[in-house]
Amino acid sequence: MANVIWTWIAAGLTLAIFSFLYKDNPFYKLAEHIYVGSSAAFWFIYLWYFDVKPKLVDAWVQNTGFEKYILIVPAILAVLMLTRFIPTISWLSRWAIAFTVGMGAGLGITGALQGFLVPQLQATLLPIWVHVSDKFTVNLGYSLNNFILVIGTIATIFYFYFSKEHRGGLGYASKVGITFIMIAFGASFGYTVMARISLLIGRLFFLLHDWLHLV
Amino acid sequence: MRREVPLFITFISGVLLVIALFIPHKPFGNLEQRFNDWYIIVSGFTMILGIDSLLLHHWNRFKRKREGWIYSIALILAFFITLIWGFYSGIKVGSPFKPNSSFLKYFYTFVFVPLQATMFSLLAFFIASAAYRAFRARTFDATLLLTAAAFVMLGRVPEGNRASVYLFGIALLIAAVILLLEAKERVSTFEKLIHYLGAIVAIVLIYILYRVLPSYLPQIADWIMNIPQLAAKRGIFIGIALGGIAMSLRIILGIERTYLK
Repeated sequence: MANVIWTWIAAGLTLAIFSFLYKDNPFYKLAEHIYVGSSAAFWFIYLWYFDVKPKLVDAWVQNTGFEKYILIVPAILAVLMLTRFIPTISWLSRWAIAFTVGMGAGLGITGALQGFLVPQLQATLLPIWVHVSDKFTVNLGYSLNNFILVIGTIATIFYFYFSKEHRGGLGYASKVGITFIMIAFGASFGYTVMARISLLIGRLFFLLHDWLHLV
Repeated sequence: MRREVPLFITFISGVLLVIALFIPHKPFGNLEQRFNDWYIIVSGFTMILGIDSLLLHHWNRFKRKREGWIYSIALILAFFITLIWGFYSGIKVGSPFKPNSSFLKYFYTFVFVPLQATMFSLLAFFIASAAYRAFRARTFDATLLLTAAAFVMLGRVPEGNRASVYLFGIALLIAAVILLLEAKERVSTFEKLIHYLGAIVAIVLIYILYRVLPSYLPQIADWIMNIPQLAAKRGIFIGIALGGIAMSLRIILGIERTYLK
């Protein structure tokens, strides 16, 4: 019985949001505000149970010695962040913000180097002539794909080079770059559309199968 | 003091992380992991600031009876009901995200997921009207965008290969007819010839597509995703990484100070 009531609630909320397709209306506004309020609380609970509690509270209980007392530093920084509520000492929150910004910047360098720049460059350094096992015959398909991949990557980088006017050689390179970018945007758009359509199918299936038992 | 200390904290925390990359030994070895945990803890607390701002805004709207104040009550109630339910479940079964918790069984499955999924699925409709505006193939670039999107979309649906023959066939047929009609209006013989040639190419393409598309459409979609799309994405990622490094250096060295305002 509980499941039936909850299914009706879910169906009501689904229809309330779909009602926006007709026009902005009180049902949609109500569902929208419920969504914002409940998701703020949901992500707060999620952060507490998956991040703050295991990394601060549980770590404090489980660890001993240095590993335990070093946790006072992030705890103080976290409390400093909350000083924004007290106007006379709100400037102290800058210390916590400075730490997160510094961390972000440090991770920006190491993360960009290790996670993006080096792996992407490594993956782009591809052989333009791909040989089949006998070392004399060229695999034309793979070679062409590698050639397109290398040229496309370089041309795209050239397109985003704004320190010089896009004329002459740079102009041609950036034109090739924009061609690749357009294909990429088109493909990403198609991919996103398919993801959204599958979500829509999921919701329609819920309404017709779980709620109305029609299919 | 109010500016120097934050700048010093930013410099030290940023530089220590960079040093840890190059000296993976004690005391720098596990510094990245430790700092990352601290970052998660501190940023977790920043959510309290965000929630305070959200609730205060809606509380003021309710107090001053501004337009839509009734919805603000719904938002505040939804927030506190979810919060209390989540923590109550957490205390009762250890975590609200355990399969046997009522929070996961009822709130997550029947409230959060339907709201979120429906909200995102709405975009399927709006994306269609956006596509109409973006995809009007008036330039070469727009045509590329349209063609790539069409191949990817059709390549990922079960009957896409059959549908694609008709869709692309009709599109090419229209293109051929337009070229033939425009050829009549041209004065120069060369331009006429080019238009006739374009129409012939379009008709030949229809035949090629009819023979090739049904069996190779998923492969074509995969090729678009794996080669030209990947090339552009890689170029963009390399650009983002270079820009990110430059920006990070500016922050660490104290050149960029907007976060202190």
